This record gives sequence, structure tokens and C-alpha cells, in this order.
Amino acid sequence: MISYKKVNKWFGELHVLNNINLEVVKGEVIVVCGPSGSGKSTLIRCINRLEPIQEGELIVDGMAVHDKKTNMTKIRAEIGFVFQAFNLYPHMTALGNTTIAPIKVRGMSKAEAEKLGRKMLTRVGLADRIDHYPAQLSGGQQQRVAIARGLCMQPKIMLFDEPTSALDPEMIHEVLDVMRDLAKEGMTMMAVTHEMGFAREVASRVVFMDEGKIIEIAPPNDFFTNPQTDRGKYFLQSILTH
Amino acid sequence: MWGFYFNELMRSLPFFLKGLWMTVAVSGLSLVLGTIIGFVGGILRAGRNKPARMIVGAWVDLIRGTPFLVQIFVIFFILPGIGIELEAFPAAVIALTNLTASFITEIVAAGIIAVPKGQREAATASGLSYYQQLRFIVLPQAIRTILPPLVGQYVLLVKDSSVVSAIGVVDITRVGWLTVQRIPEGLMVFGLVGLLYFAICYPLINLSGFLERRMTVVSTKL
Repeated sequence: MISYKKVNKWFGELHVLNNINLEVVKGEVIVVCGPSGSGKSTLIRCINRLEPIQEGELIVDGMAVHDKKTNMTKIRAEIGFVFQAFNLYPHMTALGNTTIAPIKVRGMSKAEAEKLGRKMLTRVGLADRIDHYPAQLSGGQQQRVAIARGLCMQPKIMLFDEPTSALDPEMIHEVLDVMRDLAKEGMTMMAVTHEMGFAREVASRVVFMDEGKIIEIAPPNDFFTNPQTDRGKYFLQSILTH
Repeated sequence: MWGFYFNELMRSLPFFLKGLWMTVAVSGLSLVLGTIIGFVGGILRAGRNKPARMIVGAWVDLIRGTPFLVQIFVIFFILPGIGIELEAFPAAVIALTNLTASFITEIVAAGIIAVPKGQREAATASGLSYYQQLRFIVLPQAIRTILPPLVGQYVLLVKDSSVVSAIGVVDITRVGWLTVQRIPEGLMVFGLVGLLYFAICYPLINLSGFLERRMTVVSTKL
């Protein structure tokens, strides 16, 4: 579904992705973790070319994302992306946020899109917030609208870039619950997150990054109980004892 | 004596109203054209095409860095030298449109740039094209930032239009110059001229203030 082959990327001097090789198959849930600045966000932002890669091959659902000639609209329409800062459109209601792309990108009728939008907002537990503007919603509710917005494109892949990092602790679980449900329904997912409970419960594999490199890839139980590298051990100690 | 001149002035009132109409016509045309060109300019200035950004930027700097009186002379006196003859009225509209457009370009570009980058990223990630993002996501948000200074710019436009009297357009200022030669009471004559400008500008000033308050309320509510 997602295939990185010798992917490299630099921000100026900074080697932010260093020879990345990773295969994600359909239905897998990959949790990406690592210290800040290790390239986790960049790793998933490359998938829909929010960041272009400079070297290597990146194939997503059979399409070559590394190829400048590839039309990204089609790929992007099939990937839901959830940001740390939600990035909801403040001038639109929850329903407006979820329907704009289906209408403008997929060419759905307004009625059809709104039906879908209501269904997805209901699915994330916001049936009673459909006509609210983002500023009228709590952080957790906003992030769930953002997830519903992604789901409305009926995506094959959902990407999450630290979806709970900007949330108050008591709102984290409501977002994680939605993500957990998605994972159990078989959605292919990649999530940058330090929510280790979530990783243990639903991740197929954990990818641990540092300084632009993938240091370890392992099933969550193996990684958490028996990391193979010192860097991994140190990282786990520091997040578990914080 | 003062009373006599005042009566004379009142008799010239139709002349002043003609001048007022000319000021409104020159300003109004320049306002509409300048706004359209300014939005196009602002979108290019804040856009992704580097040569377009640079060309628009150079034009804005050039217009902002030269006196309007000089610009209007260039258009009215120098263009005929290269074979472009213009009447005073179209020359005035072109000069004023050009001036207004350059200022509005900066206002629009600043409004677009002020929309957080995450908005564009979210729209990109959902597959919206560059122009769809502009139309549905960026401009509707930018307009809140743009509107108050835009209307403020219209006030400046009306006042700057007095410069067109220098090339013989009979606007309120020109009417003042012509009248004061007959009625040598400068204070009285230009007092009336000022009053007429104020009558146009004051509602606009209020509108700008109203929009500013309203937009602040809206953006804190959203």
C-alpha cells in the first residue's frame, strides 16, 4: 500500500529522512515514534507530498509519489490526513468542513456530500455538533471533525500527525477511541504518536526513528518490552518515566 | 463684503456640484477598476509564481515610491510623446486606478499571507487544487483582514483624486481654484471644497470603522 525505497530528504543541511525503507501493507496500523526532530512528521507528510522527497522511490497505492509528473489530486483524495493543530476551516461549520472536498474534488452533489458528512460526523460521535463552527467546539471535538473530514473522502489510507499532542489530557481518549475503531475496522493507518497505550492495543508495528533514520521496526509488544537498540531503550525510558 | 461673497458663492453652487460629480466619477471608476486590478495583483503577489511575484512587487514599489502628481504628469504629458494621446479624464482615471490598485495589491497580499499555512495544507491534503483553495478556503478568511483597510484606502483615493485638478479635470478642487479667482475669499471657497470632500469621506471612514469592529467580533466568535 505504501512503499518507501531508499527515500532521502534534506532540509538544507539537515538530513531529515535518511535512507528510509518501509513497506506498509493494506490494513496495517503503523505507529511512528521517536524524539522530536527525528523526521517522524516528514515521514508521513511525504506520502501525499505535503513534503516532496528528493531521492528514492515512494509508491502509494500503486502510484509513484516521487515522480514529479504524477498528478497528486487523485492520490490525495484517497488519503485522509489529520494534523496536530486540526486545521479546520474556521469559516465553515463542521458539516461544511467535511463536505467541501467531496463536492469540489470528488464532484459529489451537495445533498449526497451532506448525507455522507452527517454519517461521518455521527460516526465520530458529533451528531449534535453538525452545524457548529470550529471555534464553538472543544479541541477534542475539533480533532474528531478533522477525522470525519478525512473519512468523507472514503480514503484507503489515514495518516495522523500527532493528533492528540495539542489536546488537554481529558480529551485525548475521545480522539484515540475514534482512531482505535478505525484501526479495528481494517483501515490502513500511519500515526505519529507517543500514545503508547494506543500503540500497544492496535499497532501492527512500531517504527522508531531518530535523526532521520528508522532505528527499529517491531511489533509493539516486542518494541516496548525488549527494544533492540540502546537508543530505543533510552527513548522508552524517557517517555515512560516522564 | 463677506455676505456679498457668500451670496456669490451660493450662486456658484451648481458649479460646485458639477465638480463634486466629477470627483465622484473619477474616484468611483478608479475605485472599481483599482479594486479588481488590486485583487488580481494581490493574488499574484502572494502566489506561487516567482516571476509574477517579482514583477508585481516591482510595480508596487515603483508606484508607492513616486509622488502621485508626478505619475499623473507622466501619463498626461509624456505618453503623448510616444504617440498615446489621452484626454484629461481618462488620463486621470488611469493614473488614479494605477495608484489605488498598487495599494490594494499590498492589502490583499497581506490578507492572503496572514491566513495560517495549515489551512492551505489541510486543503492540499484533501485534494483541492490551488485555485479551489484560494476560492473556498483562503480568500473567504483573508477578506476579514482585507475589508477594513480596503475601505480606508477608498477614503485616501477620494482625497488623492484632488490631484487630477492639476491636469485640468474640473473636479471639486479645480472648481475651487476657478472660483477663488472670482470670489477672493480663499477660506470660504476652500472651506466649501473641504466640506464636500468630507461629505464623501466621512461615511466611508465610518464604514471602515464599522467593518473593523465587526470583523474582529466575527473572528473571535469563529
